[in-house]
Amino acid sequence: MKPLTGLVILLAALFLLSCSATQDDISWKSIEKSLQTQFITAADGDTIELPAGHYQFTRSLTLDGKKNITVRGQGIDKTILSWHAQTEGAQGLQVSNGVNIVLEDFSLEDAKGDNLKVNDTRGITLRRIRSVWTAGPQTENGAYALYPVLCKQVLIEQCIAMGSSDAGIYVGQSDSVVIRNNKAYWNVAGIEAENSRYVEIYGNEAWENTGGLLVFDLPGLTQYGHTTRVYDNYLHDNNQINYAQKGNVVASIPPGSGMMILATHNIEVRNNKIENNRSVGIAIVSYELVAAINEGVEEQPHAIGGVQTVNNQFREDSLYNAFPYDVRIHHNQFKNSHWFPTVRSDIGQLLITKSFMQPPDVVFDGIPDPRQTERMICIHDNGDITFINLDAANDFKNLSKDVTAFKCPGGQAQR
Amino acid sequence: MRVASIAIAVLALAACQRQVREVEVVDITPADLSSLGLPALSAYGFFVGPLHNLEPADGVWAYELNSPLFSDYAFKQRFVKIPRGSKVGYHDTEVLDFPEGSVLIKNFYYPADFRKPDGERRILETRLLIFEKGEWQALPYIWNEEQTEAYLDVAGRTVPVTWTHQDGVVRHVDYSIPNANQCRGCHLRGNKVVPIGPSVRQLNHVARGKIRSQLIEWQDRGLIDLPAGQDLPRLAAYEDMREPAEARARAWLEINCAHCHRPDGPGKTSGLHLLASVTDRAKLGIGKAPVAAGKGSGGRLYSIVPGQPDQSILQYRIESTHPGIMMPEVGRSVVHDEGVELVRKWIANLK
Repeated sequence: MKPLTGLVILLAALFLLSCSATQDDISWKSIEKSLQTQFITAADGDTIELPAGHYQFTRSLTLDGKKNITVRGQGIDKTILSWHAQTEGAQGLQVSNGVNIVLEDFSLEDAKGDNLKVNDTRGITLRRIRSVWTAGPQTENGAYALYPVLCKQVLIEQCIAMGSSDAGIYVGQSDSVVIRNNKAYWNVAGIEAENSRYVEIYGNEAWENTGGLLVFDLPGLTQYGHTTRVYDNYLHDNNQINYAQKGNVVASIPPGSGMMILATHNIEVRNNKIENNRSVGIAIVSYELVAAINEGVEEQPHAIGGVQTVNNQFREDSLYNAFPYDVRIHHNQFKNSHWFPTVRSDIGQLLITKSFMQPPDVVFDGIPDPRQTERMICIHDNGDITFINLDAANDFKNLSKDVTAFKCPGGQAQR
Repeated sequence: MRVASIAIAVLALAACQRQVREVEVVDITPADLSSLGLPALSAYGFFVGPLHNLEPADGVWAYELNSPLFSDYAFKQRFVKIPRGSKVGYHDTEVLDFPEGSVLIKNFYYPADFRKPDGERRILETRLLIFEKGEWQALPYIWNEEQTEAYLDVAGRTVPVTWTHQDGVVRHVDYSIPNANQCRGCHLRGNKVVPIGPSVRQLNHVARGKIRSQLIEWQDRGLIDLPAGQDLPRLAAYEDMREPAEARARAWLEINCAHCHRPDGPGKTSGLHLLASVTDRAKLGIGKAPVAAGKGSGGRLYSIVPGQPDQSILQYRIESTHPGIMMPEVGRSVVHDEGVELVRKWIANLK
């Protein structure tokens, strides 16, 4: 054999090896037709077992109008459902109009829209589901990894969410929600409860998102949120750039935000570890600030009309309160090894120019609510924290670091 | 030898590329659909003669809508079966009140040449809505290639279709036959399946070659009692150039969007309501920020910016074919050029 021929054969062998070594070589199979048929014909009380293996889908897989159904895979690393070849439908897996639905022990990947959407369902459990976009943070990724909306009795536990261009674990317009012991990373928002009531968020770890954990109340939706407990979570290093699509509310989250409380009430945040977020540990803000950030967008060249209309709308909505109140933040542990706030966010730049060199642990926008002066924003027993009241309504003229004004009766401002 | 070796290398590379694309289909459970409906369309006896002629049997009536849903340019032939002796109940705004045992039969087909709509054609699917025990059930039947029969199949299918368009250009789509849940996705109101099309406003229509509204014909056949001495409400026909541009655009938005985007539809979470009767500017999306659009916003800030279709999210989404962006979410894979143009002009003229 001539040496050259040997070389070519070696190259050919290498080609084969290299392609079998990449992820593309996963032997994808299709159970789409039979699984979808099974989902449609399932009877009350059925358990649907998903086999081990890598399965690809071309359209949304839907479970609609079913009662007491368990869909069980063979494990988070064993049963992989992927929509990388999706040609139709926005969602990957969609559950709707169900009662007592349990999804457990499988992975969802790469849907064009949301990987998992659950709507109008009473009793939904997501357990040991990994929901990811395999390419990592990309604006092109779908919005939500795990997305129950308009549901009651929601339990999300031991799940993993990664790569969502909006929020990883996102519960919207729902009641009686438990989000516990999950992991969320490389999303724009790691975990978000929005317009939801009676929510417990505990034991979760959110890291390397743009914002780690959000409790939001937004105007113009079917219900408004309140009453949320956030405890025993570990929110750290949420310094991901904000790769959300412009125009969405989360696009205004400053990179480096550990936690954000927006325009909601009856919120308790205790016993969390909040570390190394380069803009702010916890921000307490009103919708006025979000609107102001959007106003900034409007002033750009090629700006469009309508912001004024939106502002007027939420201010005239008598059912919506744009200002956070009854917020109690206590016994949290803050730590920051960063010397400077990040210059990647507007708020970080503002803090540097205002000579607050270390990223603050707690920030309150300080915008007064014209309808309510006593708002019970209580911040106490969090150790020796750095605090800033932005006075955002007056162009930050009276920025203040004094947290004692927020200790509330019974609380200790500083240890 | 050298050439052969290179060929081996190329083959190796080609083999590895093909390997990526090949997908083995696995059947995990045999499906039993007998509890849902009859396995073959012909068994219902809706049609007489060769099935593909769609010649209605006694008691089965053809009907048309003023403004049909866009389904990748598919043509539709609609029939309704009303049990003998029963009557349809009248309703001003909503879908008519059909009696127990009614069946709505909708056939989807492509003429080979759209300029000869009555010429050679290929029927792809027939969707049944059957009203039994007070509930509507949606059943999809898929036609065989020989065009002799259609079979119940709840999992849907994608079928490549080619035709010559009105402008003489040959067009192609991968036509998607929906699965039974996708049927429900559009037909669900609250938690019940309902018909979308046959309201008085849609049926108040003068068919090709006729001079009277088909509702009058229904009344003459004893199928419905119409209120006397008043004009019946009517939705504009968006394909009719003689109708006002705004009414055509709003009719297009209603039939293509408002089955979800209405206060009791699956799109209610968005707060965007697109029934032709909506006058509230915010509900129509004018100056309305998106709620959970994700990348569906396309970086645009409001559903509708008056005068600016290219800054309006609504326009962006009806012009998209990306599965995560486009609206409606199911039922089309191409853009309805004529429809989006209507909406574009409407937004451009909004103040």
